[in-house]
Amino acid sequence: MKPAPTLSNAFLEPGGQSLPTPLLELRKQRGTALVDMPLPTRKTENWKYSSRHLKLTDGLAATLPATGKDGLSLSLPGYRVVFRNGVMIPEASDFPDLDGILIQRFGDLDDADAAALAERLDNTLDSRAVQMARLNSARFEDGLYIRLDKEAVLDQPLFVVHEVTGTASGSAYPRIYVDAARHSQITLVEEYLSSGEEPVMVDSVTEFMLADGANVTSVRLVMEGENVQHIGATGVRQAANSRFESHCVGFGGPLRRHDLMVRLEGEGGECKLNGVVVTQGKQHYDNHTSIEHVAAHCNSEETYRNIAADESHAVFNGRIHIHQDAQKSSANMNNKNLLLSTGAEIDTKPELEIYADDVKCAHGATIGQLDKISLFYLVSRGIGRREANTLLTMAFINELVEQIPVQAVKDAAQLRLNEFFDQTFEEA
Amino acid sequence: MLSIKNLHASVEGEEILKGINLEIKAGEVHAIMGPNGSGKSTLSQVLAGNETFEVTEGEVTLNGENLLDLETEERAREGIFLAFQYPVEIPGVSNLQFLRTAVNAMRTHRGEPEMNAAEFMKLAREVSKQVDLDPAFLKRGVNEGFSGGEKKRNEILQALLLQPKLAILDETDSGLDIDALQVVSKGVNALRAEDRAILMVTHYQRLLNHIVPDYVHVLAGGKIVKSGGRELALELEERGYGWLGVKDEEATPSAAS
Repeated sequence: MKPAPTLSNAFLEPGGQSLPTPLLELRKQRGTALVDMPLPTRKTENWKYSSRHLKLTDGLAATLPATGKDGLSLSLPGYRVVFRNGVMIPEASDFPDLDGILIQRFGDLDDADAAALAERLDNTLDSRAVQMARLNSARFEDGLYIRLDKEAVLDQPLFVVHEVTGTASGSAYPRIYVDAARHSQITLVEEYLSSGEEPVMVDSVTEFMLADGANVTSVRLVMEGENVQHIGATGVRQAANSRFESHCVGFGGPLRRHDLMVRLEGEGGECKLNGVVVTQGKQHYDNHTSIEHVAAHCNSEETYRNIAADESHAVFNGRIHIHQDAQKSSANMNNKNLLLSTGAEIDTKPELEIYADDVKCAHGATIGQLDKISLFYLVSRGIGRREANTLLTMAFINELVEQIPVQAVKDAAQLRLNEFFDQTFEEA
Repeated sequence: MLSIKNLHASVEGEEILKGINLEIKAGEVHAIMGPNGSGKSTLSQVLAGNETFEVTEGEVTLNGENLLDLETEERAREGIFLAFQYPVEIPGVSNLQFLRTAVNAMRTHRGEPEMNAAEFMKLAREVSKQVDLDPAFLKRGVNEGFSGGEKKRNEILQALLLQPKLAILDETDSGLDIDALQVVSKGVNALRAEDRAILMVTHYQRLLNHIVPDYVHVLAGGKIVKSGGRELALELEERGYGWLGVKDEEATPSAAS
């Protein structure tokens, strides 16, 4: 049997060196372990629909150039940290110095904080499941460490903007670690944007560690262009009575992959995972989620919607694992899909592993098309076909968009989705 | 205003309309009655432009313009309005958004500026009162969870907002209790105007007690077999359809087509 391919040497070179020593050491150590890491192929179960879209050419291994140009980000109210090509741009960032809350780029951490972070990095991720996150751990050049002390509350949403400029080919490794102590609270909005035409790979990792009673809301907007492959992983660990809410809105590209892994490790934990994906042209989007009910008395609610137009392809793989001791678990997973053309493809797969006997667990998946009678009803009122299609398509995901907690983000997502559908239905 | 000549239409190869002729002038109210399966709803749907039905022969003009050449949305913009027998529920699209989008599509077509959200809200609240529909329904999904009567009132609300030239009411009375019937009738009567025609499709004559038609036509087997004035409806009520040589299927009114 042919051995699985591994990363080329170009990817084994670490990036820039302007990090505190503990992080440089961690990166080096992770890099050593990459040498014989098998890359996903179509025989890798969790990459079977997506491995052929994963392009790891040597050109993509290059570090992206430093840039200070004006950014692309939407101007939304809240605190802001801007990373461009994987490195923070202080002059584009604006966030407060608050008691009990540390918000700092990796490069500026003192040795004690850097050592504490190096202890924690990767501890929310199952590294076997997320190969590409391991590449991030070996190559990140900067990142954002957010640490909330006991009962600290960030009073406004924090926008972390990750832009890549495709003026030259290469890759960026955005990294965020959120350490939320007892009863602390934060809303974090990750926004992924791009400009330029040259092929770029974004390999991002975001981790959330929630202590007892912590309350974290995560919004993730993936809006990069056609030149960008984005492979992202989000790891979440929740202690007792903590609450985690995730809202992902993703626009397709040559490859979009997101692994979202949540572990409910303490009793009374709750998570809500919402996701909206839209794809068109020949785009590809693959969401893999995993919810582990490790402790008893936890609730998980998961709702994902995919809309695929043209010849695009969307994948949803939702795993729920209820451990033996996780009695009285409640898990709900729902995935609805809308195919806008006969050439589009959506693959959906629930994966339930239940080892406890006293649990409530439900899952459902549907695939459908726009309803012709509804469309006739709308156009019979003089509404144009394009607008009618857009209304019906938005209706399919409105319920989820409405739940995005930050009004400005909700508006921005709605605007972008409307533009997307208008474009999709242009020829209709 | 509306001129139908020798209209034939079929669905999935089966001919439903077999040569309809009908002239409707501005200001007139016409009622089309007939037993189930006679083609009443098909005629409404064909006029509105439902592509499920194929027009195989004949001609329909609205103010001299060939209606059959127009897309559904273009017909609506030229003034055709169909109040659906079964209004469609569209969860996720708010009634208000739907109504405003429709009104603005019409305004744009007429070269008028679009109404903003606040202006439209004011108008929609006023018109809601006219059909006795709680303005709270504006915020709900289109027809979502509305009762039968609420759906019909929402149809009339749309007609009042869109101010069509020809309003086609398809079994608007079906499923209404007497109170709702009065509210709906009041709304329809408010639509009556010199420059507007109304075509009511109905199985029963009770609606015609509230909205008095100028002409009554009997549709049977895909053709208009008899036309007359208001008195024809009363005669049908009394004698059924049998005396016209039409098979009377009044015994199964629940299966209204």
